[in-house]
Amino acid sequence: MSEYLIRKAVASDIPFLADVVIASEKAMSDRLSFTTLFNKTEEEAKELIIQMFEEEVDGCELSLSSFIVTEFEGKPISGSGAWIEGFKGNMPSGILKSNLISYTFGKESIGYLKTKSNIVKDVMIEREPMTLQLEYFHIKNEHLGKGLDAALMDKIEENALAQYPELKKVQCQIFKNSVFSIKILLRHGFKIVKSYKSDNDDIFDYLPFNEKLLMEKILKTD
Amino acid sequence: MEKEEIVNKLTPVFRKVFADNSLVITEELSALDVENWDSLSHMLLIAEVENEFAIKFKLKDLNKMANVGDMIAIISSKL
Repeated sequence: MSEYLIRKAVASDIPFLADVVIASEKAMSDRLSFTTLFNKTEEEAKELIIQMFEEEVDGCELSLSSFIVTEFEGKPISGSGAWIEGFKGNMPSGILKSNLISYTFGKESIGYLKTKSNIVKDVMIEREPMTLQLEYFHIKNEHLGKGLDAALMDKIEENALAQYPELKKVQCQIFKNSVFSIKILLRHGFKIVKSYKSDNDDIFDYLPFNEKLLMEKILKTD
Repeated sequence: MEKEEIVNKLTPVFRKVFADNSLVITEELSALDVENWDSLSHMLLIAEVENEFAIKFKLKDLNKMANVGDMIAIISSKL
């Protein structure tokens, strides 16, 4: 592990983080919601994701401050996002992300989303205030199986507890087809607490899968 | 435009986006108070409000809108 450097993300990581977001959002499928729901190409979506990171809005999954990266031989090879929901009076992260998308993607894309919103609403999960929310976790293939996932999880929890020692739980929303990521989370002490499924088969044209899991790890009990 | 006039224009927009014909708009109303006000419907709300008033919110405006009162104040400043 000594060849890896885990550090907070900085502005020069943003293009790499956009790749992390895209890989994580696809969740072992070829469907990227930033393209399918907003009528954009992947190239356009990547540019817009970069723009959203550059706005440096704290407290959501598109915040530079939410990410840590791992460096190997001076290059980023993993990115992981996590933030404490509603910490320090922040708005709900879903609203912050929606504001970023509304501002960045423009009216035509939101108009397109409007025609698709009924298809995806069943797998939308609210985030619980003052919990650590884990979102976007990607390690380049050639660095898998080296214990990096456990080191990253530990680092994410350590950083969050340093910010907020009363933190009680970590949550992660994940598509059910992300079998490898689910295995990593289970190995790290997460449990599946709820499943959200859509019966609308059209969802497969827009999202990676028709079922999303809420996974949770308890750090402290009352 | 007076505050009351803005509320009168916002009411049908909110009722349409959140599919609730009895929704009453108050300055204190926020995402926490409306069952269907989630991240998806929030994007649709912003687009509909911008269309209704022919304005474009800045990102910093959007991130200051903790409730409808904030939204009214920002709309008012743009008209």
